[in-house]
Amino acid sequence: MSRSGKARGVRVGSWVVVALAALAAAIPVAGPPASAQSKTLTLSMLAGFKEDVLRANLPDFEKKTGIKVVIDASPFGDLYKKQLLSLSTGGRYDLLFLDEPWVPPLSEFLAPLDERVRTLDMSDFVPTTVASGAFQGKQYALPVDPNVQLLVYRKDLFEQKGLKPPATWDELVATARAFHDPTKEQYGIAITGSSDIQTALYLLVSMWSQGAELVDARGRGGVDTPAGRKGAEIFLELLKLAPPNVRSYAFADVNKAIQLGQAAMAIQWASGAKPMEDKTRSSVAGKLGYTLVPKAVRQNPMRGVWTIAIAKNSANQDAAWEFAKWFTSREFGMAAVRYPAATSAIHSPRVSVLQDPGTRQILPYAEALLDSLRVAKERPRLREFADIQEHLRITVAKLTAGELGLEAALKEIDAGTNRILGK
Amino acid sequence: MRGGAARAGRGFLLPGLLFLFAIDLVPLLYSAWVSLYNWWLLRPRDVRFVGFGNYAGLAADPEAWRAVVVTSLFTAGAVVVEFLAGLGLALLFAQPFRFLRPIRVLLLLPLFVVPVVGATMWRVIFHPEVGVLNYYLAQLGLGKPAWLSDPTLALVSITMVDAWRTIPFMFLVLYAGLEVLPAELFEAAAVDGASRWQSFRHVTVPLLAYIMLVALLIRGMDAFREFDIIFVLTGGGPGTATQTIQMLNYRVFGLGHMGMANAIGVVTLALVAAMCLVLWRAVLPPRREAAPERP
Repeated sequence: MSRSGKARGVRVGSWVVVALAALAAAIPVAGPPASAQSKTLTLSMLAGFKEDVLRANLPDFEKKTGIKVVIDASPFGDLYKKQLLSLSTGGRYDLLFLDEPWVPPLSEFLAPLDERVRTLDMSDFVPTTVASGAFQGKQYALPVDPNVQLLVYRKDLFEQKGLKPPATWDELVATARAFHDPTKEQYGIAITGSSDIQTALYLLVSMWSQGAELVDARGRGGVDTPAGRKGAEIFLELLKLAPPNVRSYAFADVNKAIQLGQAAMAIQWASGAKPMEDKTRSSVAGKLGYTLVPKAVRQNPMRGVWTIAIAKNSANQDAAWEFAKWFTSREFGMAAVRYPAATSAIHSPRVSVLQDPGTRQILPYAEALLDSLRVAKERPRLREFADIQEHLRITVAKLTAGELGLEAALKEIDAGTNRILGK
Repeated sequence: MRGGAARAGRGFLLPGLLFLFAIDLVPLLYSAWVSLYNWWLLRPRDVRFVGFGNYAGLAADPEAWRAVVVTSLFTAGAVVVEFLAGLGLALLFAQPFRFLRPIRVLLLLPLFVVPVVGATMWRVIFHPEVGVLNYYLAQLGLGKPAWLSDPTLALVSITMVDAWRTIPFMFLVLYAGLEVLPAELFEAAAVDGASRWQSFRHVTVPLLAYIMLVALLIRGMDAFREFDIIFVLTGGGPGTATQTIQMLNYRVFGLGHMGMANAIGVVTLALVAAMCLVLWRAVLPPRREAAPERP
């Protein structure tokens, strides 16, 4: 090869090396994927009022941290299905807003938060709300919006009759009967009797109070017992003292019965109480009293905390944790309880927010909420619980629709629980 | 030459067949394959082959049988009401009268309403306390029926809403069929002294049989797979009074039981195919053997 030819070969070789180097620089080396550096999080959220509260406050978080949050909201009936499908197929969510019974089934796909939680001061959280995010000794979620069933009653009507709010389930039935007068479209109590999940939960809380368990200590169905039967009988008796159309009622209809002044009492989740105090929507705002759901052998209002969890496969764990801290903070809690009422509410799991004088003024039920949370009972913490609860829902729906008698329904609930748990 | 043309014709069919295979048959076969497994999304590492175990589970489940009964009742009720009303309207509109065109457009409006929106609207109309239907019924002294919470009425209510939405479809298909029937046959029948009923029974019905079959098959398949209206109006309740196979499938799928959910899907397909076969046999007369040629 001539000298000029060799020089040309060197020049060409140099260009090849430069081109390869440029190509190598363009290809990312092994390490965190590009998305790990991203400042955009995707949140699976409950659609509706809670979503509105979050959206109203989200700009503060985004401004403070530079992290953008994309909200994918679904209605309650579809949320678990969507989250399960997404998580189990390596889906796209970084963060998930979870109802507490979903934490055990979905825990396999969630990032354990124990180490991160140790860096937080948890003393301000109501202890039972922190337990809502735990499963088998690990913390998978943090509480955002604590909810619990309350007994709501019309103070004005009780004063007229010189009655006190009922403390036991037997007193509840007697008091409901005292107010029940269908000819005047005045009913004793508002609860649901439809195929809605709320109906099954009303039955369950009544059974719990009598000492029955949906899943007993041996891990078997435990409602086909004298205690379970007594709880179910009281629930069925209460349905007779409710408005005539409770067999089509859902959560919002219980609110409506109180807001329209039709019912003297209701057992309702605390989040439903806030709209009852909205003067633009409720004819009885300011006339309502709140207390714990009645007791029998024990007092067990049902706990239902909405929590925030981080997907195990999220590439944005640190950014997601920043959001989780903000979403559970006192700052967000104070803003959330002050958000104007519409159809529901977001409360705060923090004692300091629930005891704040301003909060007490806005939420007349804050004291009952805090007292109830302290004694609240959780639904069984089982991976199979979504199946058990769905079976309970459909069996109770058959009971209230008259497809099954009480004895058959109790047997069917236990048989379904045992079948699902492989017992 | 003819063989070559036939080969070329088959070649032209190939892209279309491949496309159909990809979008129809592959997912269907995958679904059938999944139905042979115990696959729960919550336990992704515990997927087990169970053969026809999911189908045996369905056969032993009274709730599944009840869902088949409810689906059959709903489908039969809805299709019969929609067919008769659609046919009646088509015959009416086949006669010339004033304002025919604007009324025909108005009649078709429910077809353009999104099913979920329409069902939500009906949920408000059916509301026992604030619904407009019960308001007027109460004014007439007919009480306030529990349209969606009474087990018997609930099935009637969802059938009514389905009829409201799809009578226009039946009307449209049958009206189009009536419009293209040859006038000479009706004139010949009139000359022979046939009454209107005889003309309808012996001329219109036989000529319209294929159109009727297509309309019944399409609506039958749709009604059998109805989901959105039932989901919005009753969610399958009260109890399991309106829980169709699709609602049951939705529940099972929602809990992440992929094997069982796909088994329900395959059973639905088999039932729809059987229904189509029965309808085909019922509507179309059996083919006659060709008469022997006269010597």
